[in-house]
Amino acid sequence: MDELKTMWQAIPPATPEELAGARGRLLQGMRPRRRVVTGPRLLAAAAVVAGLVVTPSIAGTPAHAVTRNADGTVQVTVNELRDPAGLEAKLAETGVRADVTFLAPGTRCAAPRFASVDGTYDGAPVADAGELRTLVAGARSSAAVQVTSVRTIRISPGAMEPDETLVVEFRDNRNPRQPWRLGAWLARAGTPVQPCAPVTDGR
Amino acid sequence: MTIPREAVEIDDAALIERSLDEPEIFATLFDRHAPLLHRYVTRRLGPGEAEDIVADTFLTAFQHRGAYDRSRGDARPWLYGIASNLIGRRRRAETSLYRAYVRSGVHPAELSGSPVEDGVNTLAVNRPLALALLELSPADRDVLLLVAWAELSYQEVADALAIPPGTVASRLNRARLQIRRSLSREGE
Repeated sequence: MDELKTMWQAIPPATPEELAGARGRLLQGMRPRRRVVTGPRLLAAAAVVAGLVVTPSIAGTPAHAVTRNADGTVQVTVNELRDPAGLEAKLAETGVRADVTFLAPGTRCAAPRFASVDGTYDGAPVADAGELRTLVAGARSSAAVQVTSVRTIRISPGAMEPDETLVVEFRDNRNPRQPWRLGAWLARAGTPVQPCAPVTDGR
Repeated sequence: MTIPREAVEIDDAALIERSLDEPEIFATLFDRHAPLLHRYVTRRLGPGEAEDIVADTFLTAFQHRGAYDRSRGDARPWLYGIASNLIGRRRRAETSLYRAYVRSGVHPAELSGSPVEDGVNTLAVNRPLALALLELSPADRDVLLLVAWAELSYQEVADALAIPPGTVASRLNRARLQIRRSLSREGE
């Protein structure tokens, strides 16, 4: 057995240079999962509702409108991505504290801007896209905001706790059939929401 | 010739657990174990295959780190077990290496620059050993080399290959017997 132990024993352990390729492959292999799990996680494309006809915006149509439904939910129509402060003011009138951002195509807000109430914005990493879907589906942020058509969202104030801020980011999608993509999350009560610093979205 | 295990604050199990939340931590496990794993694979398959096997071993380990038994502080049995599976898929490369050595008396790691053994005496021992390794069944060879070259204990080999310790002992006995026979045959 001793003969076998000493057989080719002089072969040295690998040097960092010899291992650089394998280490690089490991780091590369670790990356795709991280791309799935980092950053804001609730980016819903405006749903294309079957049979829905998208009418081009007509001169004189307001950029956005806010109405309260009989069941206590709030309907928001977004025709044009301008005047975020005006939309915030309209939402405040219905009792919804909101932080609204309109983004140019191919950009997103640098994260993190705030601490969210659930894992949908800044939670611990998840293993894959399936786990991510489960997390998002069960999150309070998802219950608070739903995309109901290509131009409308429904806010459920009942899903919000007092003093929580609804953070919504609309990104111009450059597509009349899906005019924008929405990111919507709840920021923890009493915590600040930083202004959006737009960055190019490489994802 | 072993590098002393790094005196680090946390053991492999704690490191793997942390990597669930901080994936990049897993690279530390690579830095800790890849140099000797690479050496082990080089001895069995040659330097050409070692980089691939090492990369695949750690990628497989990374993907399955959630299932790691955290009561095992040392991850070497786990890593060498994965590597053994991967080596098993390249059996032809392994037997070719032993055959080439029997013919030429040169291990391919020698060709890449670092001098290995020399001298007639070494060759006189290593040639029959290489022949003996060729004659072993792949399962017996795995057990024998994990003990002799990777320096795992019986229990660690059992963990690595997911077989009972009794099976490790019987495979090892059989393999040793065959090695001894080969050496004495050569000495006659």
